[in-house]
Amino acid sequence: MSDRSFAWSPGHCLCWAFTAVCLASVALAQHGAVDLDGKTVDPFAAASGKIVVLVFLRRDCPVSSRYAPTIQQISAQYQREARLWLVYPDKAESAQTIRQYLSEYGLRLPALRDPDHVLVKLAHVQITPEVAVFDREHQLVYDGRIDDWYVEPGKSRPSPTTHELIDAISAALAGKSVAKSEVRGVGCYISDLE
Amino acid sequence: MLDWPLASCLLNTRLLTSWPQWSLALLTIFGAAAASFGWPAARAASDQKPAGREVTFNRDIAPIVFRSCATCHQPGEAGPFSLLTYSDVKRHARQIAEVTEARTMPPWLPEPQKLKFADELRLSEMQIKLFREWFDQGAIEGDPRDLPPEPKVVESWRLGTPDLILTAEKPLTLPPQGTDTYWNFIFHLPIQQTRWAKAIEIRPGDKRYVHHANILVDRAGSLRSREAAPGAGFGGMEIQIESQTFDPDSHLLFWKPGTVPYVEPEGMALRLDKGMDLVLNTHLQPSGKTEVIQPSIGIYFTDHPATKLPMLLQLENDAKLDIPAGEKDFLVTDEFKLPIDVELLAIYPHAHYLGKDIQAYATFPGGKKETLIHIPRWNLNWQAVYRYQEPVLLPKGTAVSLRYAYDNSEENPLNPNRPPARVMGGNRSSDEMCHLWLQVLPVNYDPLRGDPRMALQEALARHNLEKNPADFEAHYNLAAMMQAKGQLADATKEYEAALHLRPDDAATNNALGATLLTRGRTDEAVQYLSRALQIRPDYFDAHYNLGQALASQDNFEDAAKQFRLALHAQPDDANAEANLGSALAEMGQFAEAKSHFERALQIDPHHPLAKENLEELLRLTNQH
Repeated sequence: MSDRSFAWSPGHCLCWAFTAVCLASVALAQHGAVDLDGKTVDPFAAASGKIVVLVFLRRDCPVSSRYAPTIQQISAQYQREARLWLVYPDKAESAQTIRQYLSEYGLRLPALRDPDHVLVKLAHVQITPEVAVFDREHQLVYDGRIDDWYVEPGKSRPSPTTHELIDAISAALAGKSVAKSEVRGVGCYISDLE
Repeated sequence: MLDWPLASCLLNTRLLTSWPQWSLALLTIFGAAAASFGWPAARAASDQKPAGREVTFNRDIAPIVFRSCATCHQPGEAGPFSLLTYSDVKRHARQIAEVTEARTMPPWLPEPQKLKFADELRLSEMQIKLFREWFDQGAIEGDPRDLPPEPKVVESWRLGTPDLILTAEKPLTLPPQGTDTYWNFIFHLPIQQTRWAKAIEIRPGDKRYVHHANILVDRAGSLRSREAAPGAGFGGMEIQIESQTFDPDSHLLFWKPGTVPYVEPEGMALRLDKGMDLVLNTHLQPSGKTEVIQPSIGIYFTDHPATKLPMLLQLENDAKLDIPAGEKDFLVTDEFKLPIDVELLAIYPHAHYLGKDIQAYATFPGGKKETLIHIPRWNLNWQAVYRYQEPVLLPKGTAVSLRYAYDNSEENPLNPNRPPARVMGGNRSSDEMCHLWLQVLPVNYDPLRGDPRMALQEALARHNLEKNPADFEAHYNLAAMMQAKGQLADATKEYEAALHLRPDDAATNNALGATLLTRGRTDEAVQYLSRALQIRPDYFDAHYNLGQALASQDNFEDAAKQFRLALHAQPDDANAEANLGSALAEMGQFAEAKSHFERALQIDPHHPLAKENLEELLRLTNQH
C-alpha cells in the first residue's frame, strides 16, 4: 500500500476508499489490461520480487513519441532488475497500430492496452508520457514524469537536468525511499481519452 | 595598330565588386492565414456567447478550431494530431484548454499592438475562456445544425501546381534522438534565362519535424563548395552568402508550420537568374524515430518583372553580445536613423536560445514612439517573419531601435549550457544573436537621382562602423557604395580598411584591384587581382579584371590567358568572350578572334562591343 494513500485528509474519504479498492487487489488489473494479442495480462504476476515500471504512452502525443529512445535505453539498462511495460490507455488505438508504432520507434518493451484505465488508476498517472514505479513488494513508490526534458508542450530543454524515473528505480532497487514520490509530467492528458 | 575599344567596357561590366552578406533577402511568406483559405472566419458569435449558456463544440468551439488550429492540425501538416472533428478535439479538450490559456497554442509570439500584423493567430480572451468552459462542462457536442463546414484539407500545393518543382537531391536522415539539427539543402535552378517569381512555396518534407525553414538566394552558387558531395546539403544554422552583384531586391522566403504561401503584389517579384541556387535552411527536431527529410520547393512565375524594389535593413549588435554566465537580464540595443522615407512591410526578429524579451520600436521625427514588435517570451522554435497589415510609413529621420534582453541564467530552461557559461555572438546555435531585419520599400524619392537603396546602404554601413570600427562587412559595403557613386578615392580607402581586417578575403582583393584599375593605378591593381586569384583560383571576376589590367598594359597574351580562365569559370559570359576576341585581335589572331566575337553575340545578340569589333574585323579582313 502506498504511504501516500493514507496521508490524505479525512475530507477525501471517497478518494481514500477508492484508492484502497484499486490497490487492494491487483486482480482488478487482470480484467483490464490486455496484451497485443488480446490476452488479459497482470503486469505484476510474473515479476515476483522485482520492481515493476509502467510507462504510459499515446501514439498521437508527440512528447510521448520523442521519449521513445530514452524509454528504450532505460529499459535496456534495468532489464535484469525490473519489469518495464508500455501501457497504451487510448481505447481507440488498436493492437495493430501499436505494433506498428513499436517497430517504427524501435521500442522492444512488452506493450499493454489499458482501454478501461485500470492501470492508469492504479498508477495515479494523468499524462502521457508518465511512469509509475512499483517496488519489490509492488507498492507504488513513484508516479509522474520521466525527467524534466519538457518545460511545457512544445518547449523542451536541450537535455534533461533531473532524472526522476532513474532515481525512483535506483531507490526502489536499493530499498530506499524515493525522494519525490510524484512529479507531474508535460504531455497529453489521459483523462481526455475517457 | 588598330585601336580596339577594349578597355572601354571596363566600367560597363557588372563584375567589378562583390556585395557580401546582405543578400539575406526577405520575401515574407508566412503566417497561418486560415482566413485566406476560404474557410469561414471565426463567427462573431464565438465572442458573444450569452452568459450562462452551455458551450457546445458545434456552435462555439468548431469555428475557433477550424480557423485557428486546423491549418496545422490536419494530416500531412505540422500538427502532431488532427483537429478536424468533434472526436478529434474532444480527445484533447483539457490539453487545449491549458495550452490556449498559457498561449503556447496557437503559436503567436507578439503582444497586441497598434500596428497590426497580417494573419494574426492570437486568440481573444473570450475564445480562450470558451475552451476552458467547454472542457469544464464535459466537452458537449451540441446541435449538428450549428456545425460550420469542415475545413478544407490541403492535399497538395496550396497555390495549385507550381510552374517549377525542385526536390532536394538527397534526403537527410534525421536520427531519432539528440539536439535540434540545422541542415541546408541546395536547389540548382534549371532556368536558361532570367525569370521572375511571384511566389515560392516551401514543402519542407515531413512538416511535423521541421520547425522552420527559409530560403536564401545564392546568386553565385557560393555555397555549393560546402557540400561533402554534390546534392548532399550541409549543416549549419546561420548561413552567410557572398553576393556577386548588387542584389538588394531583398526577399526572404520563410516557412513555419501553418504557412500559407504569400503571393507578392505585382511589381515585387523575385528575380531568378540562370546559374543561381536557392538554399533551404531548415531547423529540424528529432521525433523519437528515424525520419527521412526531403524537402521540395514550388516556384510560381510571373511575366511582370519587379518595379518596386524593397530592401532589407538589418539592425544588429552582435559585437555587444558578451553575456556573463548567470546573467538574467542582459540588454543589447541598436538604433538607426533613416536617411530617406520608407514603408515598412515586414519585420523579422532573430535571437537564439537565450533571447528573452525582444522589442523594436520607431521614434518619429516629432518624438512620437510606436512599437514595431514586442515579444515578451521569445522562443526560437516559433520564430517567424511578421508582415504588417498595412505598410507603415517611416519618414526620413525616423529612428528605428531594437532592445533585446537575454537570460543566461539557470532559470532559462532553453539555456544550451548547464551550468551557464559565458556566451558571445556567433553563428552556432549555442552562440547568441541580436538581429532585426526590416523589409522596407523606399518611397517619395526622385528616380533620376539613382537607386534610393544606395543611400540606405551607405547610411547603414556608416552606422555599423560607428558601432564597430572593425566591422569588415561595413567597410566593404561602404567601399562598394563609394565605388558605385564614383568616389574612387573613398572606395579605395574603405577597401583598404576591409583588407586590413581580412587580408585573405578574395572578394576584397578583387574589388580593390578593380577600383585601382579604374583609377589608372594598374600595377597595384595587378598585385591585388593576382592575390585574389591565389586565394581563389577559379574566381571569374578576378580573372576578368586581371585580363583587363594586363590588356591595358598591352600585355595581350597574358590578358587572353586570363579571359580564357575567366571563361573556364563562367563559360557563358559575353563580356569575357568579347574581350578575349579583342585581345586576340590585338595580337593579329583574327580567325580565332572572330569566333569569340561570334560566340559573344550568340550569348548576347546585342552586345555592342562584340558587334562593333566584329564589324571592324570583317572590314579589316575584307581589305586584305
